[in-house]
Amino acid sequence: MKKYFLIPIIVSLLFTVSCDDQLERFPVDSLVEETAYQSVNDLEAGLRGAINSINRGGGQASLLAFNSIFTDNARLGGDNGGQQLNLLNQILNSQTGDQGTWGDRYNAINNFNRVLAGASTITPSAADTDRYNNVLAQCYAFRAYLHHDLLTYYAEDLLNPSSLGVFYQNTVSTSDLPARQTVGEVLTEIENDLTLAASLMPSSSTDKNYATLDFITFLRARVALYSGDYNTAITNANTLISSYSLANQTQYAAMFNGDTDTTEVIFKFDNVQGNNASIAFNWIFTGTGGNFIEMSTELFNAFAIGDVRRSVAVDPSSDPGANPPVLTIGKYPAGADTNYINDYKAMRLSEMYLIRAEAHARKAAPDFAAAAADVNAIRTARFGSAQTTATYTSLNQAIADIKDERRLELCFEGFRYLDIKRYRNILNEGIERDAFDCQGGVPCSLPVSSEKFTFPIPQTEINANPNMVQNSGY
Amino acid sequence: MRTKFSGILTLFLALFVQILFAQQQTVSGIVTDDTGLPLPGATVLVKGTTKGKSTNFDGEYSIQANIGQTLVFSYVGYATQEVKITSSTVNVQLKPGEQLEAVTVVAYGGAVNSAKVASAIATVDGATIEQVPINSLDQVLQGAAAGVNVSTGSGQPGQSATIIIRGRNSLQGDIEPLFVIDGVPVDQDNFRSLNQNDIESLSVLKDAAATAIYGNRGAGGVVLVTTKKGKKGSGVNIQYRTLYGVAVKPKTRFEVMNASQFLNFQKNLLPGNQFGDSLTDTQIAAIAAQTNTNWSDIFFQQGTTLSHEMSVSTGNENTSSYTSLQYFKQEGITLGSDLKRFSFRNNFNGSSNSKKFNYATNLTLNYSVSNFIVDATRGNNTGGQLDNPFIVPYIGLPYLSPYNPDGSLNIVGTQRSGALNPDGSVNASGANGFVNTAFLALNTARLNTDQESEFKAVGSISADYNFAKNLTIGGSVGIDYTNIELLQITTPGSIRGLITPNQGSEEKGSQSETFFRDANFITNAFLRYQNDITDKLNLTATVYGEYNYSNTQSAGFTAFGLNPALPGSGSGFTAGNTVEYPADSNNDGVDDPEDAVYNYIPGVASSETELALASLFGTLSLDWDGKYGLDGTIRRDQTSRFPKNSTGTFWSVAGRWNIDNEDFMSNVDFISILKLRASYGVVGNQNIGSRYQGLQTVNAGPSYQLATGYSLGTLVDEDIKWETSKQFNVGLSFGLWNNRLTGEFDYYDFLTDELFSNNKPLSLAGTGYSQVIANVGSMRNRGIDLQLSYDVLRKSESNPWSIRVHGNANYNKNVVEELPVGFTGNTLRVAEGRAAFTWNNVRWAGVDPSNGQPLYLDANGNITNVFDPANQVYLDKNFDPTYTGGFGADITYKGFTLSSLFSFVADRYRENSSLAIIEDSGLAGFANMSTSLLNAWTTPGQITDIPSLAFGGLRAVDGNRYLEDASFLRLRNVTLSYSVDPKILEKTNVLSGLRVYVQGTNLVTWTKWRGFDPESNQSTGFFDYPVPRTFSLGFDLNF
Repeated sequence: MKKYFLIPIIVSLLFTVSCDDQLERFPVDSLVEETAYQSVNDLEAGLRGAINSINRGGGQASLLAFNSIFTDNARLGGDNGGQQLNLLNQILNSQTGDQGTWGDRYNAINNFNRVLAGASTITPSAADTDRYNNVLAQCYAFRAYLHHDLLTYYAEDLLNPSSLGVFYQNTVSTSDLPARQTVGEVLTEIENDLTLAASLMPSSSTDKNYATLDFITFLRARVALYSGDYNTAITNANTLISSYSLANQTQYAAMFNGDTDTTEVIFKFDNVQGNNASIAFNWIFTGTGGNFIEMSTELFNAFAIGDVRRSVAVDPSSDPGANPPVLTIGKYPAGADTNYINDYKAMRLSEMYLIRAEAHARKAAPDFAAAAADVNAIRTARFGSAQTTATYTSLNQAIADIKDERRLELCFEGFRYLDIKRYRNILNEGIERDAFDCQGGVPCSLPVSSEKFTFPIPQTEINANPNMVQNSGY
Repeated sequence: MRTKFSGILTLFLALFVQILFAQQQTVSGIVTDDTGLPLPGATVLVKGTTKGKSTNFDGEYSIQANIGQTLVFSYVGYATQEVKITSSTVNVQLKPGEQLEAVTVVAYGGAVNSAKVASAIATVDGATIEQVPINSLDQVLQGAAAGVNVSTGSGQPGQSATIIIRGRNSLQGDIEPLFVIDGVPVDQDNFRSLNQNDIESLSVLKDAAATAIYGNRGAGGVVLVTTKKGKKGSGVNIQYRTLYGVAVKPKTRFEVMNASQFLNFQKNLLPGNQFGDSLTDTQIAAIAAQTNTNWSDIFFQQGTTLSHEMSVSTGNENTSSYTSLQYFKQEGITLGSDLKRFSFRNNFNGSSNSKKFNYATNLTLNYSVSNFIVDATRGNNTGGQLDNPFIVPYIGLPYLSPYNPDGSLNIVGTQRSGALNPDGSVNASGANGFVNTAFLALNTARLNTDQESEFKAVGSISADYNFAKNLTIGGSVGIDYTNIELLQITTPGSIRGLITPNQGSEEKGSQSETFFRDANFITNAFLRYQNDITDKLNLTATVYGEYNYSNTQSAGFTAFGLNPALPGSGSGFTAGNTVEYPADSNNDGVDDPEDAVYNYIPGVASSETELALASLFGTLSLDWDGKYGLDGTIRRDQTSRFPKNSTGTFWSVAGRWNIDNEDFMSNVDFISILKLRASYGVVGNQNIGSRYQGLQTVNAGPSYQLATGYSLGTLVDEDIKWETSKQFNVGLSFGLWNNRLTGEFDYYDFLTDELFSNNKPLSLAGTGYSQVIANVGSMRNRGIDLQLSYDVLRKSESNPWSIRVHGNANYNKNVVEELPVGFTGNTLRVAEGRAAFTWNNVRWAGVDPSNGQPLYLDANGNITNVFDPANQVYLDKNFDPTYTGGFGADITYKGFTLSSLFSFVADRYRENSSLAIIEDSGLAGFANMSTSLLNAWTTPGQITDIPSLAFGGLRAVDGNRYLEDASFLRLRNVTLSYSVDPKILEKTNVLSGLRVYVQGTNLVTWTKWRGFDPESNQSTGFFDYPVPRTFSLGFDLNF
């Protein structure tokens, strides 16, 4: 009888023995993180994936959409079926108000950190060292870029180094509950990363679709301006202005239509068919071209005839004479293939001129003439003929003019809200919408004192992280 | 291997000889029925041994036995008789059983005597779902068994339903039961290819005692499907059945404006400048007189159902078979939605002469072709697609004519609908626009293709061998194989084709084909020990080894730019490297590289996933004199899904007390059955997340600049494991007054622990992610199942009537006991201390009579005119119903039978977003509106529930205005049939049975829901495809 009991034992053994290796199933369609990074090629793939995870101008967490729609650059479009109404209504709360910006940027940062973690396990061959260093340099540069984005939107006062900044995430963790660092600490971390990036960046890295040494210089100028270090801003702006030239009218039009000219582009996110972040979809239905958000009439009226920026920013299909006027935002046009593929030109030389102008006006010993000259350099390039240089007699006057010029030059490129925020205490101006642009129950103004000039930390973060402090007013 | 096997056989044979050597003499005889006719295939057993024989065609048997032993004679439908052997000839006349011995199909055990079941199992007789024109075997369970909540999201023929047994047991994991057809676990979401007429019975396993044997797949319950087998000794039976049915649209519970109402509404009531404002009263009257389209009439069709089926069952002494072949065709209630199918089944059972060796094969092969419309449940649709046919009865403009001047259906649109330019050419943007919705939907349904061709095979081979006294060894191999080919064509000439691949491309249209293959294999081996240890104590113990493997693959392509002359053919695809130069940006008259556009780059995709599960399990069952029983199950599962936690152990214990068999009950005549059952066990749910949920993956694919990039897959918690459900059940089975009244009453308390939820919060700043899916939280379902059946009248020689009423009901209370961050979701929440998926919103408080403004209640219940999300409160209304069930009656008089089944769902709330659209005056410029808007507030003091139109569209600030009671009571099925008396048919010498019937399905629905259909598995109704009403007529012919 005993022999019978061998049978179940044999059967069971057969199953368990043969099944143990049967149970090790690894995904066919994806890699497993532990083993994903084996070579510099893998790191480059990781880098591309990380860059691809940055908001490239369109979709959720697009600051291009936020800066235009929340402010006075846009109004309700003729074909609106409920799109972007929260932004137009200036709803900014800790539940959903930041449009996912916090999460989007930290997630992208996390991706760069994971590539860096992968890189730490690889020792490149001599032949691969440049490529390896390039990956590291790119990761550090973009990490600084993304943290600066966060700092700009979530810190209440960039000019005060001891005020609350954001957390500088430079390790991979799945459980960290970090506290906010001060603005000063974050600025130091940004500069550390930029220094590291600059030291690693091979001289061969000049592709404008990636971080370059000029990208680093540009970011340093911008960081310095926003944080009140005007001399550093001027120094870095000088470097770039001396090695690039502003686009002429034709080049300017080509830069925005089809991305065919990059004369004054220092860095852009390269959107291509099949992987297009569809910037135009921030405002229009890309299928049919209908407008759910249009350009504000106030902005339209600010463009003078003869300014190439008017014909670029306003789509040719617009009908300003109609009642109500149809003002299609044209900076990211459908293009020859009607696919609305446009690069996000995140760093352009004209911004350097405007940064230098502002820095000259705001530095300890203001140089209003230099400021006016920089503004005029842009106007001259855009009108294609010499323009009269303004004369500033006060900071207010200089900033008011720079603010107007920045609006014309950088509209729909993600600056308007930041500009109003940065200048509001100098000019004592919040967001003021033209009466026509705020028809239909849309708020007409946002006072200077509003908490909405700083983004709320998302409630999900506050809930999950007891060490996180919310901004005042939320 | 072969030699070893025969060695073992020899060993067994040697043992048999030892066991059998005590036999003495041959006993023989003849078994007859009550009329004296011989009974072939009756079973003769020597009591207390495994010796058995069947009678031959003349009812004769012979068996080796001792004088003094007892022979047990049995035959299906007849009362079993025991006769003590006193001579070598024993003739027996069997009497028809007054009550067939009730059997219940249990997991891994086949049919067992219901009295010996200690777990909670509901049985649905296949006869009740046969020929019901609802073509998915999960759907037909609605209202059929207590605790089984069935809801369907679409009226697409063959649509699979969502089944929840005894309450939602998971938040983000699988909530549906495991389906097992003849021992083979199958895809629980696809039954459209299977012929439900092949089903003998369905067993719904509802508690851990019944499901623990399925280990980490059992937590949501298990549905065992047993298909028909031939009966041994039954000879050859041939049946032909046919069914013809017509499906019609359900009742419309909302009203939209007609042309005159709508244009006058635009002109006189609606602020702003719309089409109606540009017309004079005379013009409006003229338009309305000419065109007043009720788009429901255009979009709903009568869908026909047609079925032909031939089945043959055979049975002789040792083998039986059942073979069926069915052709089934069903059209939906709108054009372009249908199912056509061929189904074949063959079940074969055989035994050795000694009945010690049994084997069986089950095989079904099916091929179906389904055509789909752009309905709310298809793909990633939301219902808001403008070519969804069911959006049109709501928002289709009544002043647009559906016809061309020549009377044919207009499938392009008109100038007024935006589809045509003034010169008569088609405007691609306008044709795809909102105003053209009706024509766009007609166009897509007629010109474009969305078709799935499915081949599905489910089969198994099993055998068992009673190789020694008390010992049986067996095994089985099974497969569930599904191959689906999806074909989607946007034809160049269709409206959608105008913008595919894009508006600027020279060639138009796209063709997408996807091949999907899902194969599930199972092998199982077991050894069973069964022994009557004493006269009274019976023990059965079984150990099993099992291995399950699933492999799912898909691959597909999308090609662009079709040649209209070669529809559906690869020869018509435009080459992917075709370059177009639609613009000349530098105006040099030459095609420049920077203007090059590639419109026809095909999309390709391929994927594969695997899942493996190896298990060892055992059951132990003890019975004492039919009075007390104890069952235990333990299963150890090892899964590939959770590499760090691959092994889980699940178990259950159950006890029963058959009070009716106690001596002290022998004098209690009115109680025929009284059984108390109790069980407790732990089962799991491993069907959570992806098949690689325990591995942190990195995805590779086209990324920045379309070069290959790596990106982190969904962040996972590598310590993830199955959900655990701790299930307690106590039940009472009873039969009173000679089983005139029978029923089952169960109380259960299920606690799901280690709930799979994305509610483990993370710091975005610290980790880059806001949450990760992990085993957090717990949820409890407590409730009552009640199942009753009462024979009001029983047929007898003096009474031609038989009336039976039956009903079942479930009450379920779901509570989320623990969730780390209190709640998830916004208006539909999962919140600690409340039912999962409970509504939370700002309360709508009607319209201020003084100024027509919408009013709300604030968090404290005070009236306010400000909509503020901070005023959201829990509404004590849940998405999952608290009460479900069904009831009906079967009435028979002579050859006539009237059977009915009602199903009901109560205390369930859903958001009616379809109605919200047609009461959103913000859309009234281009969409038809509900007639309720004609009552919009206009004058101070007016009492109305529609706010002043001056406040514009209020859809974003509706609060709970459109949260509706989706409870319903439905006449699910009613059948009137007539069976011709077999005695009359005998004279034909051809027919042995003839049944004719008429049937109505979903005939009437009582509900407060203001739409087509309250039933859905979606929390929000948004232009859903309603379940139709069907009238059918059928014949069953037996030869």
